[in-house]
Amino acid sequence: MSAENMLPVQRDDASAAFFDAAAEGRLLVHQCPQGHLFAPQISTCPRCQSTELSWSEASGRATLASYAVINRRGQSELPVAIVELDEGPWIRMQLQDVSTGDLKVGLPLQIRFAAPEGGEPLPYAVPA
Amino acid sequence: MTKLDAAIVGLGMTDMGKVYGRTGTQFAVEAIGKAAADAGLKVSDIDGLLVNYGLTRAVGMPLAADLGLRNLSVLSEIQAYGSSAGVMVMQAAAAVASGQATAVACVFSDVPLTEGKRAGATYSDPKNRLHPGFLGMPAGGGLLGPNVGYALAARRHMDKYGTTSEQFGHIAISTRKWAELNPIAQMRTPLTMEDHQESRYIVDPLHLFDCCLVSNGAIAVIVTSGEKARDLAKPPVYLHGGAQCHPGYIDERDSEFGLVSGAKLSGERAFKMAGVTVDQIGVREIYDCYTYTTLITLEDYGFCAKGEGGALAESGALAPGGSLPTNTGGGQLSGYYMWGMTPLSEAVIQGRGEGGERQVADNDYILVSGNGGVLQHHATLILSPHPKEA
Ligand SMILES: [Zn+2]
Repeated sequence: MSAENMLPVQRDDASAAFFDAAAEGRLLVHQCPQGHLFAPQISTCPRCQSTELSWSEASGRATLASYAVINRRGQSELPVAIVELDEGPWIRMQLQDVSTGDLKVGLPLQIRFAAPEGGEPLPYAVPA
Repeated sequence: MTKLDAAIVGLGMTDMGKVYGRTGTQFAVEAIGKAAADAGLKVSDIDGLLVNYGLTRAVGMPLAADLGLRNLSVLSEIQAYGSSAGVMVMQAAAAVASGQATAVACVFSDVPLTEGKRAGATYSDPKNRLHPGFLGMPAGGGLLGPNVGYALAARRHMDKYGTTSEQFGHIAISTRKWAELNPIAQMRTPLTMEDHQESRYIVDPLHLFDCCLVSNGAIAVIVTSGEKARDLAKPPVYLHGGAQCHPGYIDERDSEFGLVSGAKLSGERAFKMAGVTVDQIGVREIYDCYTYTTLITLEDYGFCAKGEGGALAESGALAPGGSLPTNTGGGQLSGYYMWGMTPLSEAVIQGRGEGGERQVADNDYILVSGNGGVLQHHATLILSPHPKEA
């Protein structure tokens, strides 16, 4: 919904395809030749150590693995999370459109993207 | 290492906390000079130097030149974050055991505090964290600095085991009680559960009093062989066991992140090397960057069953007069924040019997932990005033 509480992150070679897909609202995760799926920021398969990676489009469905609420003095609270994709990998991201009182591990989530001015689209999660 | 024959013979501590106008190198030089003098050595007797530069990289191998050391046989920078102190002591012990060096100085020095800036500013400054690409992605979403990482870890523990904020509060309170007995601790006024619960959240579930201090300063120790140690100025504190564990959590379903720390494996290995059991430990000096890390580390070492750390804290066992004296100098929560040198320095003080009002009577075996990154690195030392039997 909003990139108001985000900081601009620039792309690099390793993240270019991820951000291109993100601009279309698609979430990519890494996949090795054996089909292991893992988070986009990880560059070697943690199971088989393969570095021959391809991108796989994730469903964008996820659950809340852990959460925390940052107290930003003088500003609104900022909820953040470890988000567990239905496919298994974890990504850390901001939560939006949720009341902090409703946060609970296991909460079903949906991934979306927002681009802060001057930066790439970053994933965030909302209640599904 | 087949035979462990090493001891800590010197301890040097500078003023720590909001101490401004001095460089990391100046702090380190002072700490090493004090550690050498404490051992009854001259700085020029040091033939090994291991340097941990903390967060700000304000000190490093060039420190040798500042100390006028021209004939070092061992010199390295060591960076394993909060586990660095334990790693340095183990490497120093290996160096003296193998004859590479006879007296190794291990120093931590850091200057993260800037006058007029908030304590956590250097640790959470976006300029230090907003890397391009995936590395910057969590930071771009607001996940900046260690407070957030530990809050997410602590929440997992609370969710799985029912650990409560009040139980973390008991750790803050018991640690503060020890600090009240330590003349050099920075926070010495009594802390109540009300104070803890009403303190602002830094990152929910971590209240202000769940988080460590941030300090400028330096601490150094000198490690030598057990044999040489007996001829020096202060009672040696012998190394009986030491081990590391770097858990390498995978970011995916069923990860143990937040639930089990590197204390588990490094503890098992260190106990085995020392030939002691958890019941024989009289003093626990646990890396407490947060109340939560004290709790999970005690669990993983086996001082209580997994998931029972909260109940253990609630029982009062960790406080002065309790059955499991823990963080007897006030730790990093209330004492002073020098990464792994905080628990190590207090362990040396307790091992020598120099704890004054806070001295623990049963100091035969002292457990020291270091924890680095967000639970990614762990080091365990087992120390004793008694030589290790061969
Ligand atoms: Zn694989």
